Amino acid sequence: MAAEPLVRLIDVTRSYRLGEVDYQVLKGVSLAIEGGEFVALQGPSGSGKSTLLHILGLLDQPTSGRYELEGRDVSHLSDDEQSGLRNRTIGFVFQSFYLVPYITALDNVLLPGLYSPTPTGRLKERAQELLAQVGLSDRATFKPSQLSGGQQQRVALARSLINDPRLVLADEPTGQLDSTTSTEIMNLLKAINAQGRTVIVVTHDEATAAYARRRILVSDGLVASDG
Amino acid sequence: MGSWQATADVRILWRVLGTSLAGLTAYKLRSLFVICATALGIAALTVIVAAVDGAQRKAVEITEMFGPDAAFVLGGDIFTHAVGQRVMTLSWEDARTIERSLPGVSLVVPMRSRQNVKAKAGNENIDVGTVVGSTSNYAKAWDWPLSEGRDLSVEDVENSAKVALIGDDPSRLLFGQASPVGQVIFVQNIPFQIIGRLAYRGVSGGGGNIDDRIVIPLSTLTQRFNLDRKYFRALRVRFHDAADMPANAAHLRSLLRHLHHLGPNEADDFSILTADEILKFMSMLKGSLVAFLGVTAAAAILVGGFVLANLFYLSVSERTHEIGLRRAYGATSLHILLQFLAEAVALTLIGALVGLVLGLALGQTLARLNILEIKLSWKIFTLALTSAVAIGVVFGLRPARRAARLDPIQALRGSDE
Repeated sequence: MAAEPLVRLIDVTRSYRLGEVDYQVLKGVSLAIEGGEFVALQGPSGSGKSTLLHILGLLDQPTSGRYELEGRDVSHLSDDEQSGLRNRTIGFVFQSFYLVPYITALDNVLLPGLYSPTPTGRLKERAQELLAQVGLSDRATFKPSQLSGGQQQRVALARSLINDPRLVLADEPTGQLDSTTSTEIMNLLKAINAQGRTVIVVTHDEATAAYARRRILVSDGLVASDG
Repeated sequence: MGSWQATADVRILWRVLGTSLAGLTAYKLRSLFVICATALGIAALTVIVAAVDGAQRKAVEITEMFGPDAAFVLGGDIFTHAVGQRVMTLSWEDARTIERSLPGVSLVVPMRSRQNVKAKAGNENIDVGTVVGSTSNYAKAWDWPLSEGRDLSVEDVENSAKVALIGDDPSRLLFGQASPVGQVIFVQNIPFQIIGRLAYRGVSGGGGNIDDRIVIPLSTLTQRFNLDRKYFRALRVRFHDAADMPANAAHLRSLLRHLHHLGPNEADDFSILTADEILKFMSMLKGSLVAFLGVTAAAAILVGGFVLANLFYLSVSERTHEIGLRRAYGATSLHILLQFLAEAVALTLIGALVGLVLGLALGQTLARLNILEIKLSWKIFTLALTSAVAIGVVFGLRPARRAARLDPIQALRGSDE
């Protein structure tokens, strides 16, 4: 188990059919990410980094090649198997937070838990703990519209951890935040990484990328540099 | 392992349903519209079922009251209602001849009545709905038991005696719990001695309360109320054998045609009703009631369903991010389908409850105004809830499936564009 990387991509391609032509977004990506790494995924728009993130997050599947997660081939799972594996293994953080507007901060934090086998009482305790970890215990009953952008993203960070995932994928997590708030969020992500979780951040922003110990630059559907 | 998995699955499904309930209060306007639309459909359905059951019950009651061995003869042709036709065609002579010469006849009771007559006893003044003039044996002819006292006798009729049978309603109004028998009641200022009290019947016989009546000898009625002495409006004929009522009615018709000197090409100047006849008429009435109310209810339900479907399509596109997020975090497409379907069904169920209350109130009002006879039952409740679930599932399914089939990546992308 220790010898297996958490994530391994082997010659992964992804192409879309647009009319008559196949448009290849990923042209053969191979990489391995060990458990506990903090990785920044960078690249210009249209480089294929978003598609790569979707494949890593089991929201999309490679056209060819192989994706191994925790040593297991997950390239061609059924939709329900993908859903189950996302629920157990992966936490997502998005640029626009994506909190459900009509439920409280606490309910937003435990939302991914609803689809897990964990009993509801246990989920509530854990959601409270996580809100405390991001410093929002006193905002548990607030609706997202009553929270600032930075607070919303902190709720989203707490939410990503409710099912105790090994992998956290953050897509431009600071894209809508000012620099002070961005620093708060990145420090929280660093803390999450320090708990032993693997964190992969997609970002344009150099300051954000600087938190990562490893940077992977994607360009034109290929890994241009790694290290 | 298997049962642990099952427990977890049930737990997740339960929480998905909880999620639906949160959605109800979140989108209040949508919920309100769907509830209202469904409520109207279910209210229409409630009224129709109550009315149809009411008509059915009334038909049965009328038959029972009418008696399977009896025919009712009315002057004039009530089926074609020729304008200006003479309706006073039944004479004492007819009644006597039928009783004497028609085989199988056990009893002939001519009847006349006056509506809304003032009556008084002591200091109490009331309006009596119907004062019936009858020959002897009124209670027996109508299978109407007396709760106390005696029936009208042959002597009462011959002597035009000032005696009366009192219905349950005026008895209670004038004498309360006390026995009316032996008391004197003034009907249009003429004193009558009460000789018997009709048992409570409680059946509404075509508008008006059947217990709201006083029965006096026919001869007394015609004399004291200045009515035509030769003819009367109706005649009740009972037969010994109920098995062959169509033949009995046919014989009665031939005899009356003969007595009235009607030629072969002339129409009847009287109408014969039997229980069968009345049931036929009632079922015809019921048929048109079902058709009219059925179309109304179906239209209302259809409109409710389309309102639901459209508002849910709107809701799904409004909530793509939520759907994408739930999918990313491990909700299966089945979970999403169930979440939206449960929202739809919960709303239609609430709508059904509102509709039931609305429909029952409307039905009660119509019944009180004597427009409709209604009957309430658990069947209505069950039917309303079942239809509500059906509306929710049928019209909620397409939007729910659209939500379930959204590609999570597309759904999450929504806002950034």
